[in-house]
Amino acid sequence: MNKIDAKVHSGGSDRETAARDWKSGYQAQVREGKTVRNRSGLEIQPLYWPDEEVDATYDAKLGFPGSGPMTRGIYPSMHRGRTWTQRQLIGLGRPEDFNGRIKKILKSGASALSIIPCNSVYRGVDANEVEPELLGTCGTVINTVQDMEISLADIPIGDISIGLNDPNPFTMLAQLLIVAEQRGVPWSKITGTSNQSDYISHFVANHMFYRLSLTGARRVQLDAIEWLAENVPNWNPLSVVGQHMQQAGATPAQAMGLTLSSAIQYAEDCMARGLDPNKFLERFTFFFDISISFFEEVAKFRAGRRIWARLVEERFGVSNLRAKRFKFHAQTSGVDLTRQQPLNNISRVAVQAMAGILGGLQSLHTDGYDEVFTTPTEGPAKVAIATQNILKHEAGLCDVIDPLGGSYYVETLTDQMEAEILRVIAEIDEQGGMFKAVENGFVQKAIGESALGFQEAVDTGEQIVVGVNAYQEEEEETVLPAIDRPDPDWMQGQIDRLAAYKANRDQGGVTTALSDMRTAARSESENTFAAIVGATRAGATQGEIIAVLRDELGFGRPLVVA
Amino acid sequence: MTLDTVIPARVLVTKIGLDGHDRGSRIVAAYLRDAGMEVIYTDPWQKLEAVVALALQEDVDVIGISSLATDHLLVPKLMKALDEAGLGHIRVIVGGIVPAEEEADLLKAGVSRVFHPGSGREEIVEAVAKLAVDAADDRTDD
Amino acid sequence: MKQATPEMPALARRLINGETAALARAISVVERDTPQAIEILRAIRPHLGQAIVVGFTGPPGAGKSTLVNAYVAELRRRGKTVGIVAVDPSSPITGGAVLGDRIRMAEHTLDEGVFIRSLASRGALGGLSASAAQVADLMDAADRDVVILETVGTGQSEVEMATIADVRVVIAAPGLGDDVQAIKAGILEIADVLVVNKADQPLASQTRRQLNAMLGLRATAEHPVPVLSTDAINRVGVADLADAVTVVADRRDRQTDRSALAGRTRHLLAQAVSKAAEAHVMNSRSEKVEDILHAVQDARLGLTDAAKQILGGIMGYNANEQ
Repeated sequence: MNKIDAKVHSGGSDRETAARDWKSGYQAQVREGKTVRNRSGLEIQPLYWPDEEVDATYDAKLGFPGSGPMTRGIYPSMHRGRTWTQRQLIGLGRPEDFNGRIKKILKSGASALSIIPCNSVYRGVDANEVEPELLGTCGTVINTVQDMEISLADIPIGDISIGLNDPNPFTMLAQLLIVAEQRGVPWSKITGTSNQSDYISHFVANHMFYRLSLTGARRVQLDAIEWLAENVPNWNPLSVVGQHMQQAGATPAQAMGLTLSSAIQYAEDCMARGLDPNKFLERFTFFFDISISFFEEVAKFRAGRRIWARLVEERFGVSNLRAKRFKFHAQTSGVDLTRQQPLNNISRVAVQAMAGILGGLQSLHTDGYDEVFTTPTEGPAKVAIATQNILKHEAGLCDVIDPLGGSYYVETLTDQMEAEILRVIAEIDEQGGMFKAVENGFVQKAIGESALGFQEAVDTGEQIVVGVNAYQEEEEETVLPAIDRPDPDWMQGQIDRLAAYKANRDQGGVTTALSDMRTAARSESENTFAAIVGATRAGATQGEIIAVLRDELGFGRPLVVA
Repeated sequence: MTLDTVIPARVLVTKIGLDGHDRGSRIVAAYLRDAGMEVIYTDPWQKLEAVVALALQEDVDVIGISSLATDHLLVPKLMKALDEAGLGHIRVIVGGIVPAEEEADLLKAGVSRVFHPGSGREEIVEAVAKLAVDAADDRTDD
Repeated sequence: MKQATPEMPALARRLINGETAALARAISVVERDTPQAIEILRAIRPHLGQAIVVGFTGPPGAGKSTLVNAYVAELRRRGKTVGIVAVDPSSPITGGAVLGDRIRMAEHTLDEGVFIRSLASRGALGGLSASAAQVADLMDAADRDVVILETVGTGQSEVEMATIADVRVVIAAPGLGDDVQAIKAGILEIADVLVVNKADQPLASQTRRQLNAMLGLRATAEHPVPVLSTDAINRVGVADLADAVTVVADRRDRQTDRSALAGRTRHLLAQAVSKAAEAHVMNSRSEKVEDILHAVQDARLGLTDAAKQILGGIMGYNANEQ
């Protein structure tokens, strides 16, 4: 095949030049070049590519990681230089419980944190406004700055990457920023992502997260992107999400195509605001589902990476390499997991995780095997993290960049997935862009059809699901850990805490700040997110803020197509 | 020559509480339609009083609650409200993610059946058809 | 003043007294067309005629349900009680249906003054169920001021609606009026009010002009048909719509419009006969029908003559009588 040093340091063909460039980029990222050997003693190179004579299309379609078509990876060294971020979702009823769990998770290898708020928070209401049975069952109840402070007690928020799962209008982010302010941590040190900032995907496929009307959400999103670029420069304000649509039934290619179409829409919106794509695209990130269709997922990610790099240049004239990088977080798909024989889910998650890793993700969440029953309980959560550690350290998956590159199957499949993804994007273009295509129900209908198609395949047995329509067990032997339902007293404590907080704050200040926020929303040019931060600083709760915004900018009603 | 009209069963498919995922409820609605039933399909987050009003106006035989988060915890309250509104004959089923210990609570509260992920089309359709007949038999005000 | 006669079925009595549960139940009974149904319909006859029946029809995508929702809000603002019959097509193959019109009218679910019933067309050829007219009557007898009949404009439903509704509102969406679609047979003839919804879209005023021009080409109608502009989502133009409907309704003398009522009944009867005959031909195994079938297949007998023969066989129909 190729001898890395021999070929690279001699000759001047294009491929050899590209290989040299890649090598120096790689060495810049991996300062200590350790030799890696497998069990049989063979040395493993970081990358493999074909001899010049063998494959002429290599340079156009694959190239080297970190440049050109980007198919093989967005960085020269990928996981061999720095492994992916382990970012596990955690959501526990009370802020102090969350705090306890996150400390444990950080000790066992996770390098970043991600907060899942309670469903009541997703719906934009405070603890005292929801049926008490539902409080804290699926996530952490965070209504105020105080709740956020308790959740993050003793966590060095300036040194760790934080994933916030609060949708538009991003009240949790505002709370995080005020906590940082109170602790004296400069906002320039706050890193992380607004994981659920893709309001279009919520309108389509995760209605619980959808709070403001489409136009209202658009306004706040653009205000936030603008304001954060100035004030919290290391924060990723936008994560374009393919997960919801794929979980709603979109095929992998469809999910990628629709997600890229959303990204195009958001980029166009930003440009209409006068923002520079060479700058804001650097902070665009993506979030995908990983199904268990192993090779399909690898090809999906490789195709997505290739398409994005080309697309931003073609459509937005972007030349900045960093702005072309298709950065993504991925989560193993809960939809593939089964209630029957739940321990099987451990295998499924491992396969899904592998597909994502070999697909070149930057950050990964692995589901617990009890995902089908509940948000992760402690035991299954530990197994989920161990799965990542096993893949990382025992399976050698980090030794080579894009190891499936060059496989006849994977390259053909990548090309085919690319064609299919481009076809989906073209259909959305025809509808006038993603915003219009979801307003008129086009996208929802397409996803619904795919969902029905897949269900039929399972119903007829064409698609086998182990334990469900084949290999069933009469008696289920697995004993699952008991479901953690929040203690009603604890939840009452949370409600009381909220009441005390409201009683002790400067009510006049809150009223003024909320009124200012209302004025900002009504104006055409004031920055609503700045006002949200101001209201949060003054002590307004997330429910109060969202109520005012819903009033001014429209209550979000998803388009439900019967 | 016969003109007997087959009376389709009428089923309300809805979501209560906070969650909004509707992939499953859409599929079940399609199953029931394909089996000749009439499905009244709603958007999510229905208040319990609204479910009662819907069931009343639409004179349904069966109510299907889709619950993928923990919204099934509200169903016992719903059962009570239906009873108080004179709609005790309506059969209620819950589909989605319900832990085993809470399934027992639901059945005790009067829910006819709980369907878990992986339930097949025929299983669901047959059960609903039978429940619709039971509901019709139990009507008291004809 | 409502007089309940002692022999009247209990359900009818309760319905006339305004009980929601009774109305809901009576609708189910009437849809089934049982012997009890006919008793109820007879019992409510003296109580008909006070409601205005407004039909809304339009192609998918015109924003019909959203507009009806806004119209209902306006009616409620004016203190009117409302009944809505929302009809969706049944699958011709399975007979089932997913009824989702209510979704756009969710804001009225808890309002006692608004009663919404979703009906499936249940095989009716045109798209309006055979019992839609009777359901409207039940709502009338239950003291609803306005009964709204909402149906998708497919098949012959506009024509059917014309025989049931006092006021026919036809909705077009900008651009959907794609010339050919807008002048689909029957639409302009039956419309009492034409509405171009989604007024915020660029093509809206052009569509309005097109419709006005086409109306101008018709033989002069007694009364000009207004072409209104609405934006249902932002509740613009809805008050004007409500006013236009009232104008048309006041023109009709509903109480004594006997000939219209007779025409409607004849139409419904024709539909029922059609349905029965179709069922007979589709399901029959009789030799006579098989013979006729073969004769048609061999082109020994034309379809019209074959139909007359079959009708003759069913009910002694004599083609020479009229």
